[in-house]
Amino acid sequence: MNYPVWFVPTFGGGLLIALVAIVHVFVSHFAVGGGLYLVLTERKALREKSAAIMAFVRKHTRFFMLLTMVFGGLTGVAIWFVISLINPAATSLLIHTFVFGWATEWVFFLVEIVALFIYFYTFGRMDDRNHQLIGWIYFGAAWLSLFLINGIIDFMLTPGDWISTHDFWSGFFNPTFWPALFFRSFMSFMLAGCYGFLTATFIEDAALRHRMIRYSGIWALASLILSLPAGWWYLSVLPAPAARLVHGASPTIARASTTGAFSLALLSGLLIALILLSPKARTRVLTALVMITAMGYLGAFEWTREAARRPFVINGVMYSNGLPVSEVSRIDQEGFLQNARWVQNKEVTPANRLEAGRELFLHQCFACHTIGGFNNDIIARTRNMSFTALRGYLATIHDKRYFMPPFAGTDAELQALAAYIAGGLNHKPLTEAAGAGGDHGKELFEANCAACHGADILKPILAGWTQEKIRTGLDRLPSLNPAMPDYTGPPVDKDALAGYLVSLNHPRPQTAAQPAPAAPAAAKGAGLFADNCTACHGLDQIKPALQGWPRAKIRTALDKLSALNPAMPDYGGTAAEKDAVADYLAQQTGGAQ
Amino acid sequence: MNPATLIPAADPLTLPWGWFQFLLMLTFPLHLLAMNALVGTSLAALAAHLLPGPPYRRLSHELAKALPFLVAFTVNLGVAPLLFLNVLYGNLFYTSTILMGLFWLAVIPLVIIAYYLLYLYDFRFRQLGNGAMFVLLAVLALLLTVGFIFSNNMTMMIAPAGWGRWFTTPGGALLNLADPTLLPRYLHMMTGALAVGGLCVALYARIALKGDPETADAGVRLGMGLFSWLSLLQVVVGLWFLTTLSPAVLRLFMGGSGSATALLGVGLFMALAALMAGFRHQVGLAAGLTLPLLYVMAFMRDTVRTGALAPYFSLDKVPVTSQVQWSPLVLFLVTLVLGLAVIAWMLGKVATCPKEVRP
Repeated sequence: MNYPVWFVPTFGGGLLIALVAIVHVFVSHFAVGGGLYLVLTERKALREKSAAIMAFVRKHTRFFMLLTMVFGGLTGVAIWFVISLINPAATSLLIHTFVFGWATEWVFFLVEIVALFIYFYTFGRMDDRNHQLIGWIYFGAAWLSLFLINGIIDFMLTPGDWISTHDFWSGFFNPTFWPALFFRSFMSFMLAGCYGFLTATFIEDAALRHRMIRYSGIWALASLILSLPAGWWYLSVLPAPAARLVHGASPTIARASTTGAFSLALLSGLLIALILLSPKARTRVLTALVMITAMGYLGAFEWTREAARRPFVINGVMYSNGLPVSEVSRIDQEGFLQNARWVQNKEVTPANRLEAGRELFLHQCFACHTIGGFNNDIIARTRNMSFTALRGYLATIHDKRYFMPPFAGTDAELQALAAYIAGGLNHKPLTEAAGAGGDHGKELFEANCAACHGADILKPILAGWTQEKIRTGLDRLPSLNPAMPDYTGPPVDKDALAGYLVSLNHPRPQTAAQPAPAAPAAAKGAGLFADNCTACHGLDQIKPALQGWPRAKIRTALDKLSALNPAMPDYGGTAAEKDAVADYLAQQTGGAQ
Repeated sequence: MNPATLIPAADPLTLPWGWFQFLLMLTFPLHLLAMNALVGTSLAALAAHLLPGPPYRRLSHELAKALPFLVAFTVNLGVAPLLFLNVLYGNLFYTSTILMGLFWLAVIPLVIIAYYLLYLYDFRFRQLGNGAMFVLLAVLALLLTVGFIFSNNMTMMIAPAGWGRWFTTPGGALLNLADPTLLPRYLHMMTGALAVGGLCVALYARIALKGDPETADAGVRLGMGLFSWLSLLQVVVGLWFLTTLSPAVLRLFMGGSGSATALLGVGLFMALAALMAGFRHQVGLAAGLTLPLLYVMAFMRDTVRTGALAPYFSLDKVPVTSQVQWSPLVLFLVTLVLGLAVIAWMLGKVATCPKEVRP
């Protein structure tokens, strides 16, 4: 709102942040744990008076320096560049709040550079005690860098008391600070072991190579085991909404968790194999697999941490699209476009509706949604939704899907955004109830369900489901899939929705000549049917029996149910209610009026 | 469209702006110094390959060893001023960054490639032979490109009048090419960088290579030659730069502002003095004049920024948070002092360390 947007339609900034961050994390944690690995391995070489191990440490230091100082240092700057490009408002808030945290980290970065250069270039020249001391200084500075960055990163997930106090220290030592610090420290030691393999496999002497591989394996495995309780602790202190997302309410976290779990299992197995393997075994392939699975484990953690704070970029303070939470109600009153600096349409008119909608999309949605791109494509996500359905969806988007920010703006602006997505991007007609065809169930589906799964996806899943089963399922959606929010519509809506869903696999003949009963009446009928009939028989079960019955015959039958079947009680509803049920049944079974 | 309406609102500062300005102006010239040493040493190493004789061979080998350090310190010393720039001018800087996003992101891979090429040059010096010249040419091309990207961002962030182009080109592909100050400013920065880099080579040769007088002499000759002639060129480019400034900004340097005029006068005087020292190969004097000159030029650059922004933005008008918190600043200053002490201790250990590897 405050800033322009870097707009490459098919390319999403979120993905770029994730890629750069995961690569950087993989190297920067090595830069921390690797420091400890170097000094302890140097000590091992000195204690065992092994020139061969010392030569290995020296070679590993060179690799370490080339990887962490060049690639690690610059990808760290790259994250800063990327976040200020993709989310300038959040970057500004973080920089302003923690400028001296970062400045302090910069001092440690400087000490790290000097110490690492000296450590590498004085191998064999400086006396052992001082050389090791320089190594310890390097590790200390690197770990303190982690200490500082950890506070700022975790602030984004759990700002804690900072929200009310705006105190640097309460933001820094936030609720996830300590568990994350332990977790990251162990991860960094684990990665140091993993990277140790990389250079160890190049040792020519077979016996030494095997020794160093086993040594690195024990390093990695012990750290991996220690990281597990720290990870558990981390999860246990998450605030409730984030915990819900982590426990399945977010589809992307669910995918990350699966990746993480598989990587963890495979990594543990590989490490044990490498520790136990005979010196002759071919270890290069296993080493490569160790690196991939370690990246999978760490990547899954970082992804989860990032995704768990949605719909916020700074939890409870700023939404992912850069909108401050405190501003939303004002913007709802005054209008988003009025308050935005980088828009050309300051208010919505019939003439500029699509263009204003495009600007709203750019500033409120593009932070996470590409247009026709690989990541979170808005066109694919809304393909099944009509203009009407989109309007309904946008109005309650944050309530329906917690991890989406609410739409901020006036009703006219919301309509403009819906018009842009439905008409401008999906080329759908922008008329009332367009696409819904008067079918209430379909309308409800488009407004509430189609954002995540279209009818084509559900059809095969629901094959063989009775309407009753679907109707029951609608009462407990999260138990079907933790990522699905509860559907909070009234029972009649659920009946109508169930009717529509069952019709996906059991199409009802649509006769053009037959004027469809008014949607509300049918919906009412569906509700009455569900309340009074489905205890014994669902729609599916009576459909064959009612095949070919005209509506009038159904209506008459409703007056004398016990005569049709002695086991059936008479229906005690009013005439209007019986009319509604008849309308509904006729509609569902294709009966003529 | 009125450019002022596009300028994002600045977030409140956590301390009065003078503190951040002080830290920005303290650290930025240090980044300049490291960057100048990097760019100029790359050029000097290239020139040493072209000049005949074993001393120049040895000189280029010595420079090869120093270059990777210079990248590390250029990057590190760039972080601090960029951080304080983010605090003071983030609303302007992020905007221009977004406008030129594609180019801005390219800085990272360009620097990574240059950095690895310089390690290649160092670690494979003998194997590369004359091929090293191509490596250095590539490094220079990369670094000068990075400089051009930075000049674009730094000039675009103070020129909101051109920002409206985003509405038709929102893909991050904009540069500030239409700005008349861009080219002279960039060339002024880069000729200066190459010149000061030459001075660094001369200084390094005189201090660190004194064990090999021939190589040291070669280094001083080459370094001071580069410094003197490029500085002369820089003075000319600087005057051209001055003429492209907007009348309002130019007026500041021509008596409109006492401090700006004094900065220009002192800067010109010091530059001429350094030039004379350069042509006389007085390395110490030239270096003693150039370091403060870098500070003078950084302050002149800041005057240009303040002047160009005057119609739209002033640090005086940025709000300060109601509860000013000093303890984070204290944390930083204490860490800085301790960090510098640790670095001094480590360098002391290196100084007393034998040159040869123990048997």
